[in-house]
Amino acid sequence: MNKRKIYPLAFVWPAVIIFVVLFIVPTVISFYFSFTVWDLKDAVWCGLDNYKMFFSESSLSTSVINTIIYAVFTCGLKVILGFFIAVFLTSNIATKTFIRSVVFFPTLISSVAVGIMFKAILHPTKGIINVFLSLFGIGSIDWLGNTKLALGSIIAVDVWKGLGIAVVIFIAGIQSIDKTYYESATIDGASKIKSIFYITAPLSRAARNSVITLAFIGGIRSFDLIWAMTKGGPGYATDVIASTVYKQYSSGYYGLSTAGNVIMLLMVMFLAFPLQKFINRGGDLQ
Amino acid sequence: MKKGQKLTTAVLTVLMAMAAMTGCGDSGETPAGGDSSSADNSEDKTLSLLTFSDIDQTGLQAVCDLAEEKLGIHIDIEVVANGDDVIQTRAASGDLNDLVISNSGAILSTLHPADYFIPLNDETEIMDKLDDTYIESVTVDDVTYGIPQCSTQVGCVLYNKSMYEQYGLEVPQSWEEFTANCQTLKDNGETALIGAFGDAWTSQVLMLGDFYNLNEQDPDFAKNFEAGEDKYASNEYALRSFTKYEDLLDFYNEDYLAAIYDDGCQKLAEGEGAHWIMLTQVLGNIYSLFGEEATNNIGAFPIPCDDPSINGMTVWMPNSIYGNKNTGKTETILEFMNFYLSDEALDAFTTAQLPQGPYCVKGYEIPDTAYEAVRVDMQKYFDEGKTCTAMEFITSVKGNGAEKICQEVACGLSSGAEAAQKYDEDAYKAAVQLGLDWEQ
Repeated sequence: MNKRKIYPLAFVWPAVIIFVVLFIVPTVISFYFSFTVWDLKDAVWCGLDNYKMFFSESSLSTSVINTIIYAVFTCGLKVILGFFIAVFLTSNIATKTFIRSVVFFPTLISSVAVGIMFKAILHPTKGIINVFLSLFGIGSIDWLGNTKLALGSIIAVDVWKGLGIAVVIFIAGIQSIDKTYYESATIDGASKIKSIFYITAPLSRAARNSVITLAFIGGIRSFDLIWAMTKGGPGYATDVIASTVYKQYSSGYYGLSTAGNVIMLLMVMFLAFPLQKFINRGGDLQ
Repeated sequence: MKKGQKLTTAVLTVLMAMAAMTGCGDSGETPAGGDSSSADNSEDKTLSLLTFSDIDQTGLQAVCDLAEEKLGIHIDIEVVANGDDVIQTRAASGDLNDLVISNSGAILSTLHPADYFIPLNDETEIMDKLDDTYIESVTVDDVTYGIPQCSTQVGCVLYNKSMYEQYGLEVPQSWEEFTANCQTLKDNGETALIGAFGDAWTSQVLMLGDFYNLNEQDPDFAKNFEAGEDKYASNEYALRSFTKYEDLLDFYNEDYLAAIYDDGCQKLAEGEGAHWIMLTQVLGNIYSLFGEEATNNIGAFPIPCDDPSINGMTVWMPNSIYGNKNTGKTETILEFMNFYLSDEALDAFTTAQLPQGPYCVKGYEIPDTAYEAVRVDMQKYFDEGKTCTAMEFITSVKGNGAEKICQEVACGLSSGAEAAQKYDEDAYKAAVQLGLDWEQ
């Protein structure tokens, strides 16, 4: 059955051509330009200089570290919080459809709008959070200005915004679990908590893996929210690779910014693929 | 009924496809105004102009209106968000507007002016009007490309005069006196210095505006820096431009990292802060928001030097208007440029938008209506010749990360020495891009 060709091979060509012209060719060309000093007109070969510069210059290399911190924390928080919210929303509570929409709502707002809104909310003197905290005598905290807090604040906002997707994927995963598992567990006298950890968690694994992969790749590539909230500042404290690449690009350092893009591509490949391998390990055993 | 629907769908689809195709095509074409007999002529007289949203368009608009009235040249102004990348990408893809407003100085050399902009060297009528220092800032490889879009401005310390009176302060002659004034204000519970580093660019004015002092103490620095032989980190006077930030850490307003440029204008105008190290363009913003009285309550003095005998202003050259040489409209563009520098156009400009400093057009004086800070405080330095063009207009190398580096040192995240080091690294990137032979 499989060996019989139903459709001619020619059917593939349109898709292949579009894919090669629009994706493969630019990717290969960008590899070339990342080894040059390029001003959109002339490209002068400079070997590995752009890559060396990206890792040796402190303002650029901090962005690599920040990207990893950002990806790990947003991804981790989304998975943990998303799972428990999904468990809560699949249980028998009265207003669950309403709460589901509320949780999903932030996902529908554009990142830039969210960024601008939170920039106002987190303002050190006029922002609603600090005004509220001052009622309890807590002095003004500069959420986005303090370099130790700034990245954390953005991570929190990103989690708030991206949680909806994670919850929806988890809900789908949890709902597909056969109810008989829970029945037999109840008969065996397992508590609610136990059935969450021993039935829901392992059996919603496929959903969890999708959430991890999506959130992690999203975290590495994140740009819009950070740009809207801090533009990578103060100084370089919240710069990630994407924002650094953008800045190099707008400074006219096209070769250098292409090198940054290639680094980002390699990072996604070398972090996300092994990660997926790791979380899918032993998947066949079940 | 069903047939009718099908037809409608078909027609709409074709229309949409056509609209999409024309949208992708040449957007420079604009419908010609006027009667049909002169259609050809009037189409030729329409120019598109690219400008950026952070530039005050009031004066420009006034001149364009006048040009339409007097010369019949219609200018379509297109405002885009900041970014020289817009110019570079449009130029590279052949979509550049007929006229472009962009920075003078270091930025110009990165735009390949020889390929895209009209050389003005043979246009004696234009060249004769331009100031020599200005010409230097729009000249690359001995070819001159631009005309000034507005007046010059100055990077200096702007201060609230009534607060100075209230606490009996004198205009400081040295850096020490300046910090002492700040301390007095602080002791009296006032905000001595405004920081609006939510807009990172505002932080670099101190470093860039300190260039007069640097240049007086080491006149060869700019030349040696461009040649890659001297560095900010290793030159004692240049390093001082960065370490000055360290002395000011205690004096800022509480929200100095969140406040933006507009907040700064408000604080200075309403006396919520005594000093602001800023460009004089701020006077125009304060004038339009808070009126004449508030504006005339603001004085200006140069960024002080450690040495009290050195006291002068660092001047920013205006943005320039460049003509695209590849559109076949060179004649109209030159006609407009010529008109832009005529007295009647300049009058129209200054009526709409008061100057923030002297003009770079020979023989054109600052009108009596100008802000006091410009007319009284600044003019005397120009009269005495105690001015110097900011470094980015003399050298072709400017690190584009200056604003972030200055933001870091201004909020105490790094020391002045570290910042100078970082700036040198940043400038190295610019030098590599320009193909200069620097050793790191």
